[in-house]
Amino acid sequence: MAVLILRRLLAMVVVLLVLTAVIFLLRQVTPANPARVALGPQASIGAVEEYSRELGLDQPLVVQYFTYLNDIAHGDFQVSVRTRRAVSEDLAAFVPATLELALYGIMFAALGGLVLGVVSAARWRGSGVVRNVMLVGASVPSFLLAFGLILVMSRNLGWLPGTGRSSLPDMPSGPTQLLTVDAILHGRLDAFWNALRHLILPSATIGLASAVAIGRVLRSSLHASLDSDYVRTARAKGLAERLVLRRHALRNASGPAMTMAGLQLGLMFAGVVIVEQIFAWPGIGWYTAQSIPTNDFAAIAAVTLILGSLYVIVNTAVDIAQMLADPRIRR
Amino acid sequence: MTASDTGTTRLASPGERLLGSLRRLRLSDGLSLATLAVLVLVAIAAPVVAPHSATAPSGIPLTPPSGSAWLGTDEVGRDILSRLIFGLRLSLVGAVLVIASGVIIGSIMGLVAGAVGGWVDMLLMRLTDVFLALPAPVLAIAVVAALGPSFTNTLLAVSIVWWPWYARIVRGEVTAIGARPHVDAAKLAGVGRLRLWSRHLLPGAGPSVLVVASLDVGYLVLILAGLSFLGLGAPAPAPELGAMAAQGLRFLLSKWWVPVFPGIAVAALAYTANLAGDALRDLMGDR
Repeated sequence: MAVLILRRLLAMVVVLLVLTAVIFLLRQVTPANPARVALGPQASIGAVEEYSRELGLDQPLVVQYFTYLNDIAHGDFQVSVRTRRAVSEDLAAFVPATLELALYGIMFAALGGLVLGVVSAARWRGSGVVRNVMLVGASVPSFLLAFGLILVMSRNLGWLPGTGRSSLPDMPSGPTQLLTVDAILHGRLDAFWNALRHLILPSATIGLASAVAIGRVLRSSLHASLDSDYVRTARAKGLAERLVLRRHALRNASGPAMTMAGLQLGLMFAGVVIVEQIFAWPGIGWYTAQSIPTNDFAAIAAVTLILGSLYVIVNTAVDIAQMLADPRIRR
Repeated sequence: MTASDTGTTRLASPGERLLGSLRRLRLSDGLSLATLAVLVLVAIAAPVVAPHSATAPSGIPLTPPSGSAWLGTDEVGRDILSRLIFGLRLSLVGAVLVIASGVIIGSIMGLVAGAVGGWVDMLLMRLTDVFLALPAPVLAIAVVAALGPSFTNTLLAVSIVWWPWYARIVRGEVTAIGARPHVDAAKLAGVGRLRLWSRHLLPGAGPSVLVVASLDVGYLVLILAGLSFLGLGAPAPAPELGAMAAQGLRFLLSKWWVPVFPGIAVAALAYTANLAGDALRDLMGDR
């Protein structure tokens, strides 16, 4: 068991190293010279060359790669051309908003996926309709969903806010930087409610596609487990169908859905770039969307590295959790 | 797989097989395949079908949908319907090109890994695993940003991250087929390595790859639209669906048709492609 986990962790490290190598190579490909970028267009050629040497840009690629690894290990992601601040500072300011959004998004996706999976797998008249709705859900681009939600829920009905994280001037800020958590820590129910209302539309937007994906996987594994011998036994001993589903079928069918949820959490980090831009959500997705038109590659590289690493780490964690939970995988 | 692989019965000609499958086709599957065919035709015939130019203004800016401009006009006065028709074309071309390059790269990797075996197989498949473990959409953003935004670079970026699944599938099929008698027979008959690979191993992977590829079209339409929404596609006047939605975003609350219709076009294309992919999978037998 320990060997298996160790091997999985080792694979993760290899993947992370490849990720850094890919980003490093992309940095070499960008036409922008980091020294020129840092000094600005007015700097003389001599100054740029001098600074290039200082940055180690005249060193062989392999040496530069290790310098790069060393830099990111110390949290140095260079300076953003756009904000003129260290990218690491920018990230620290923008990551919590994205984290909170992704957290609520994955909760929405997990709950929605559970409902969709069970409802579409059960034998009842509406299950065909649910399956079609799921296919539509898998085909709608997130920006269209966001447009629809904003127009209906925010503009026409006025039920929910469609931009930003909060509308209170005195939002309590606390240790976690997650507004809903900090509000509770400060005992401010009004602030919690305000932040939560702002979270509903964006997290539903990033969560829907994942809910559908999780629901589809859950449906097919539920089908398999509902046909199994142990479910027949449970039914034969007179257990209520609801309990059969909950205790026997669902529990055994949850493995693949968990894997899918892990994958989806990773993809969600990519989806936030679009969704945050639409909802004016001040997270790293919004930060990236601002960096793209200004060709701010230092910022984009750092975000890619962070989002990519999160994806890899989350998926490894899900794999290991499954190894621990499901004796059949241990081999 | 049918009797054709064991080689004992007379093989049905490709035409006969296609006819047989078409007879088994369900009405709903036929409808979705037909709808996709219509969309493809509209995309091909875009210059003829579109009522107005996709890049030049044809009316008063920001006119709501009406008899003269069915889907209204955008902030420059361009006819949105015409832009959508040309956008459809870009989306389809993009998805098909990415899939084609993914299939080619993946097939080469998978074929070499499966056919050579040994440490080459190990190395190539570990490489595939590593790329599968990375989030393709996130990487695509970085690649386009590094190369500089353009339609070609977007396709290049997505192609770079798109081959691993195909490599896996081809490798799996090639390994399975390599153990079959007809391959031994071909080897004994003195068939050269390249011919063995291209004529006896690779065609066996065709059906599986085709099914996966057709299911990928819808997904790619969405990813390409997302990248172009972020400004990582063709530059401004080009009628890219994602970019149109992004440029229309500031009119969302006042002139909803400007950003919403491009989004609906993406959804309709992806939905049709997904349905057609499902239909094709049923047609080829469950895989």
